[in-house]
Amino acid sequence: MHIVIGGSAGSFQSITQILAALPKTFPYPIFLCLHRLKHVRNGFVEALSIKSKLPVLEPKDKQEFLPGNVYLAPANYHMYLEFGNTFALTTEEVVNHSRPSIDLTFMSAAYTLKNNVLGILLSGANKDGALGLKAIKDAGGKVIVQSPEECQVKTMTTAAIKVTSVDHILYTQQIIDYLLRLKE
Amino acid sequence: MEIDQVEISLLIKTLKNCGGYDFSNYSEKSFCRRVEKVLMDNKVDIYTLVNRLKFDRVFLEKVVRDITVNTTELFRDPQTWQAIRYRILPRLANKNEILIWHAGCSIGMEVYSMEILLNELGLLEKAKIYATDLNTEVLETARKGEYSYRYKDEYIDNFTKALVENPFNFEEKNEVNVDKYFDSNPAKDVFKVKPFLLNKTIFLKHDLVTQGNPFCVGYDLILCRNVLIYFNHDLQNKIFCDFWNYLNHNGSLVLGIHESILGTMALRYEKKGFFYIKKPFDTINPK
Repeated sequence: MHIVIGGSAGSFQSITQILAALPKTFPYPIFLCLHRLKHVRNGFVEALSIKSKLPVLEPKDKQEFLPGNVYLAPANYHMYLEFGNTFALTTEEVVNHSRPSIDLTFMSAAYTLKNNVLGILLSGANKDGALGLKAIKDAGGKVIVQSPEECQVKTMTTAAIKVTSVDHILYTQQIIDYLLRLKE
Repeated sequence: MEIDQVEISLLIKTLKNCGGYDFSNYSEKSFCRRVEKVLMDNKVDIYTLVNRLKFDRVFLEKVVRDITVNTTELFRDPQTWQAIRYRILPRLANKNEILIWHAGCSIGMEVYSMEILLNELGLLEKAKIYATDLNTEVLETARKGEYSYRYKDEYIDNFTKALVENPFNFEEKNEVNVDKYFDSNPAKDVFKVKPFLLNKTIFLKHDLVTQGNPFCVGYDLILCRNVLIYFNHDLQNKIFCDFWNYLNHNGSLVLGIHESILGTMALRYEKKGFFYIKKPFDTINPK
């Protein structure tokens, strides 16, 4: 299984809670595609690493991805998952006003990894991620959306719920429980 | 519009036969996406596109331009420029001439960043700068050095970070004003490189994949940033091998900050923070 998580405004807290709760032995790779301010290019990995027991890394282009690592899409690049378990980074134009774009990461995960993907979409202020989540679902993967009730900004999650039949709508703590049960 | 691998192969074959462009080793997923976007923008399916490419050379050039990515910035990633300033150029300052190649220069912002940096160090006179791109239209913009004023604030942010601070000596602050190098005309949305920086660089259309060393010289510094990310691993390695052959003794290679040399070619370069240095042949194959 491959876990891809997208988030934007208001998602940082959920992300850190999720990372803090996962054990060192978590057996799957996690891919984070989070919008951030363009000029804040440094320090994000460090901020996420404080709570995480798993290593948090910004991948290099063509680097191989491995289980048990958390990969954060670098600022100002789109992050694709390619065949051969590798990353491809691009500097193509922004998509949904965003680079990295959650849609692009999600769609590439669906294309390359088929039903072996769990997509999770968190709080956010635009519609990026909705079509990507649909692509994951259409390819046979599982999709989870953070409960809009819990989201600081619910534009992103409600947009996703509108375009695809999501498997679960969960609070952060329930997302954590779900991920921990994946192990078994 | 989703396209499959058979359709992509057909397109790649057509671009090769009719235009001499070789996209067969491009990074797959992003290439497909670029093509899908071209299909959508032109409101055609892949077969209509391929048929038109066969007899319309102007259209073919336009399609190639749209498939390739031309994002660039002035002083993109200031830490890289600081490394060029304080770690690479000082080693070249005593040479009679400094040969620099910008491979995949897009609209030239990086070329002018380099010229500005060289000018600040008093090295512009002795620098020979070459710049190439696959796309003739971006080269035209590069030669003119004329950009959109709208993004000036972003440029200046990078400009200041790259040129004013010295990360290796925090007490040192350089005085540089952006007006020294650019003429601004907000009403016309123009932000233009000053005339003394134009005509310094030789710009040439060149395909990295198929055309080898474009200038028949050895380089002290090659910049190829966020270009090879569109190539697959094998093609990347071929280009790293080419660069190794084209670099002078101890020459430097600068890539994008999220690029690295992986695989066999990694042995031929020494990584020094934000850049690579060519290793001499005898250290790679010790007797």
